[in-house]
Amino acid sequence: MEQDTLLSEMTQSIIDGNRNQAEILAREAVSQGMDLNAVIEQGFVPGIQRVGDLWEQGEYFLPELITSAECMKAVMNILQPELDKANIRARSLGKVVIGTIEGDIHDIGKSLVASMLGANGFDVVDLGADVKLDRFIATAQEVEADLICVSALLTTTMLLQKTLVAHLREQGLLDRFKVMVGGAPVNQRWAQDIGAHGYAENAMTAVQAVKELLGSRLEP
Amino acid sequence: MSAASDVRRLHSLPIRIPERKILYRLGYKGRNAQVSDTVSEMITEQEKRLGTLLRPEALYRILNYDETNQHPVFKGAAKVALCICTIGEELERSSAALIEDNEMLRGFILDSFGSEAAEETAIQADRIIAQEARGLGLWPSKRFSPGYSIWDIREQSYMFATLPASEIGVRLTDTFMMVPRKSVSFRINFYRNREQTTRRFG
Ligand code: B12
Repeated sequence: MEQDTLLSEMTQSIIDGNRNQAEILAREAVSQGMDLNAVIEQGFVPGIQRVGDLWEQGEYFLPELITSAECMKAVMNILQPELDKANIRARSLGKVVIGTIEGDIHDIGKSLVASMLGANGFDVVDLGADVKLDRFIATAQEVEADLICVSALLTTTMLLQKTLVAHLREQGLLDRFKVMVGGAPVNQRWAQDIGAHGYAENAMTAVQAVKELLGSRLEP
Repeated sequence: MSAASDVRRLHSLPIRIPERKILYRLGYKGRNAQVSDTVSEMITEQEKRLGTLLRPEALYRILNYDETNQHPVFKGAAKVALCICTIGEELERSSAALIEDNEMLRGFILDSFGSEAAEETAIQADRIIAQEARGLGLWPSKRFSPGYSIWDIREQSYMFATLPASEIGVRLTDTFMMVPRKSVSFRINFYRNREQTTRRFG
């Protein structure tokens, strides 16, 4: 098959949320020895971007977004080992450490945000729920993260988002890592008040917000 | 606290969850929301698993007002029913396993069923407790949970001190969260006069 045709079929497979097809195309790209970064950026990524647009237009709903995100992950599960083998670094839009704050065991919302960010080209380290403040910071340092995303679903545990920002400030790390907060009781105002860099209401708007937040610090 | 003899335990509660509630949780909110066949099938597929994944149980106790901690929310009640419900942890384990396995949507659907089932368990227990109130010649209030309005989530520690929740496998973390996640706690005040309650009686 022509490479251009392949690329557009890749895009379409993500839009359709057709995991089988996406996996077949990813394997095909590998066996044809295609430039895998181009495959990702010109084949699959335009698909997930289109899915985001369709959601914004009200054509797609959350389940379609999730399905397409699963496809992206399945594709990366095939392509990543090949990239590693060839010692090529997949271009990432930035590295994100995400988790639900200490004492809070709500998980599903945070997982949705993590999966959308992952599908949209961010490198995501998901620490799960009930994550100690120190662990957010240590992991961010260890993986050289660009952004820490902190979820809280309770009015009691959201207070620790503030503590986390304060700790980062005390340790002189607030320039190094951006912080984004979210969860049902959280809003833009709270993010501002505690000195976090960003907030988003849901998993899709989070993708846009993170892009804007990290845009300034990433090379063109 | 030793298991008080007046503690009542409900199990095998019949849980039925209307599909529209799941659709709402999945984000289908507009009137023109089109549910694809694939998503519909996935919902049906997860729904079929509920029989083995749900273990709805509830535990409750009815106290005289002066046996309570006399928190302002109990004011004016002759008696107070305190209740803890759960669907167990099987479902959340299964949902986490799906998500781990890059089956985010199936996991999310199952999680949504879990939330609705926990809610439904509370509704069933509520109904039974309300009947009991009427049997005592008292008028039950609506159901209220710690964590809402002036009943601080910290009052969960009072709930757990009063009910032997471990009997239904529920524990409280030191940050006042219940494990398993899909658990609900609530009170129903029993009043002497009908005017004291906003609950409707059919
Ligand atoms: C479903 C639900 C339940 C279910 C399931 C709970 C569970 N842990 O699985 C049940 C019925 C069991 C339940 C029980 C309780 N609940 Co409840 N519950 C909810 C509800 C309605 C939705 C939560 C949810 O699962 N949402 C679905 C996910 C997908 O959405 P999400 O988590 O919000 O995440 C999205 C966004 O917030 C955002 N986001 C999330 N994290 C992040 C992070 C970043 C960085 C960004 C950018 C974005 C982002 O993106 C996500 C995806 O779009 C919320 C209210 C609400 N509207 O949020 C109350 C809510 C969380 N519960 C509440 C309460 C009080 C309770 C109980 C304590 C009541 C009680 N006494 O029984 C118990 C506690 C349970 C426990 N284990 O201890 C309160 C908490 C209030 C408070 N004081 O802090 C809330 C806020 C309701 C309210 N309006 O007051 N609950």
